[in-house]
Amino acid sequence: MSNLDRRTFLQAGLGVGGLMLSSSLSRSWAQQGDPIKIGLIIPLTGATSQFGATMAQAAKIAETEINAVGGVRGRPIQIVVEDDQSNPEAAVRAAHKLIDVDKVVAIGGSYASAVTSAIAPLCWDGKTVLLTSSGADSITKLPHDGYIFRTSPTVTLQGTSVGKYAVELGAKKMFFLGPQTPFAQSYIDIISGIFKATGGTGNGLVYEDKKSSYRSEVDQALKESPDVIVLGGYVPDTSVVLKDLYRAGYSGKKIGFSFGINDALTKAVPAEVSEGAYSLVPSAAENSEAYKRLISKMKRPSLDSYSCQVYDHVVLTSLALARATSGQANGTAVRDNLRAISEGEGKRLDDAAEALKAVVVGGQVNYDGPSGPLEFADNGDVKGVFFRYEQVEGGKLVVRKVG
Amino acid sequence: MISYLVFAGTIAGFYALLSLGLVTAWGQGGLVNLGLVGFVGLGAYTSALLSGAAFPIWIDWIAAAVVSAAVGLALCFVVRNLRGDYLAIVTLGFAEILRLAETNEKWLTKGSDGISGIVAPLKSDLGESFPFFYLIMTWTLVGIVAFLLGCLLRSPFGRALRAVRDDEQIAAVAGKSVLRLKLQAFGIGAALSGLAGALYAHFTSYIAPDVFVVQLTIYIFLTVTVGGQTRLAGAVVGSIALVALLEASRFIAAAIPGLDAVQIASLREFAIAVTLILVMQLRPEGAFRMTNERSGLSASRAASESCYGKRAIVDDAT
Repeated sequence: MSNLDRRTFLQAGLGVGGLMLSSSLSRSWAQQGDPIKIGLIIPLTGATSQFGATMAQAAKIAETEINAVGGVRGRPIQIVVEDDQSNPEAAVRAAHKLIDVDKVVAIGGSYASAVTSAIAPLCWDGKTVLLTSSGADSITKLPHDGYIFRTSPTVTLQGTSVGKYAVELGAKKMFFLGPQTPFAQSYIDIISGIFKATGGTGNGLVYEDKKSSYRSEVDQALKESPDVIVLGGYVPDTSVVLKDLYRAGYSGKKIGFSFGINDALTKAVPAEVSEGAYSLVPSAAENSEAYKRLISKMKRPSLDSYSCQVYDHVVLTSLALARATSGQANGTAVRDNLRAISEGEGKRLDDAAEALKAVVVGGQVNYDGPSGPLEFADNGDVKGVFFRYEQVEGGKLVVRKVG
Repeated sequence: MISYLVFAGTIAGFYALLSLGLVTAWGQGGLVNLGLVGFVGLGAYTSALLSGAAFPIWIDWIAAAVVSAAVGLALCFVVRNLRGDYLAIVTLGFAEILRLAETNEKWLTKGSDGISGIVAPLKSDLGESFPFFYLIMTWTLVGIVAFLLGCLLRSPFGRALRAVRDDEQIAAVAGKSVLRLKLQAFGIGAALSGLAGALYAHFTSYIAPDVFVVQLTIYIFLTVTVGGQTRLAGAVVGSIALVALLEASRFIAAAIPGLDAVQIASLREFAIAVTLILVMQLRPEGAFRMTNERSGLSASRAASESCYGKRAIVDDAT
């Protein structure tokens, strides 16, 4: 086959390129009546991809619900999903495609903090709203001109809640075990601070993720004989740490975050390994109808908070655009109207379709989604989040407290 | 659409710089540098930190190339006795060490938060036309580097380097300084990686340790393999082909009906693997073949040798 000469090779390459160019060019000649596009950059492959599939499904459900009641300003909405490959470099390429080719009004999803930080400048330069489920405090400190909305509670808030709950459970000596992330050290400082304020002690250890054993880290933690261990990792490393804690015979309390201790984890480890571990889940209000409706539509017993947030990213964008009755349907319109439909004195609605109908007839609406009440501070951080405290019991997560 | 193509073209330019470095070190020098991405990161951080300390951009970029080259030389000197797979493993590990250092030395690199707001040259002055400017600047640099490398590799230095690649002992017997040639080739590769990293950092304005993971190294090896590992033209054409493949697969995979998001994403990764397998099967020498040089001593010999120009390619693939 080596007689495939260079000319044929190049011609074939140019042919494929040309085909792709022409097909994408025809798409960019969007006219009135064509769908309003909402981009999603979510982790579908790679290390952070455990929620990618459900994020995409949840967004699809939001799309169907909005379009079932006529879409936004007489135009259907369309979700355009791009994979971030768990890599900021790939995410930047994906974001350029969404902003420049698809002309999306907003980008939702963006999960890992490094991915969000990487695509954020493109979004505010391109006047596109970025709705993120990342936690790192640094994100909303960027000069984003109001284009960033964060639906996930910040690291500081999550750390404080975990610390307070551990104290409430009667623990005195805390030890934190977590991978090197933008927030690992802040967790140690925040939670230790809470313990010291109540007369306890706190310490921590930051480990390298992707290891196959954390025996030495666990030994080091147990040397301090803590009565609560806070697990700051994601599912892959947390499952290994839990197994090593079990082998080492640790019998104290374990608390983690919803990105580490969740359904994926309870399926990945034997029930006796995860037994008794607590998990902090950012959540909607107790018995939220929106949440129940979403999980029944997805035919799942429960759903992680991040997929709920992605659902809300699509709904918030649609409602904001529907409220902006005049002017172009673009990112700036989303930014300027988003707060008006998610907070304030308007009628509290937790159903996307009902909220859209109310907005269309000019009503004041305060939309509360499956991920929470969705009220935003001036810097774009979400306010008034509830937390659900869950505990693993016989391999399943059971709600212990909402507050 | 145009701005997207300009962006993709600029990315192809970064990949081309990296590929040119890899052709020099690997294709011409036989040094498998799987730690390529480590040097990209080193260059990116050097330039970002210096520009943060208010040094002018041209100093930042030169420093990025110099620091990467210096670290590359030091690494190459330390592992001077390793070849082939062993060198590959060590360089792979070295890139990981650099990434961990970037993650943990928070006082310098802000850890895994990354450095944001890296200034781009003339961005505020140029406004809308900045992406075009960066595209032209990147490809001008690629052109200059390719021209200089072309001159270098045609010179006696290039011939000696290829001799080292083909058989170190023969090169040594012929009086060539094997170590010095290896250091030079590795250093050039590292310097170009550092420069590409610096260009990338100032273009996207944000870097974090997670940006510099092994995936990029694999992309560049794919580029060079597709283009022809010994040829500078192959590096440039391969980079354009790779970016076209990466970006075109978005549109093609999304157009296939009946797939969910995860399947589409997986299909894209799959397409890249299949491309590599196809290229290795159908055209293992890449788009541009290795050229043989005539010695200039016995011009008549070439015609009579039936396997002239073929044998060497097959042998070299090992």
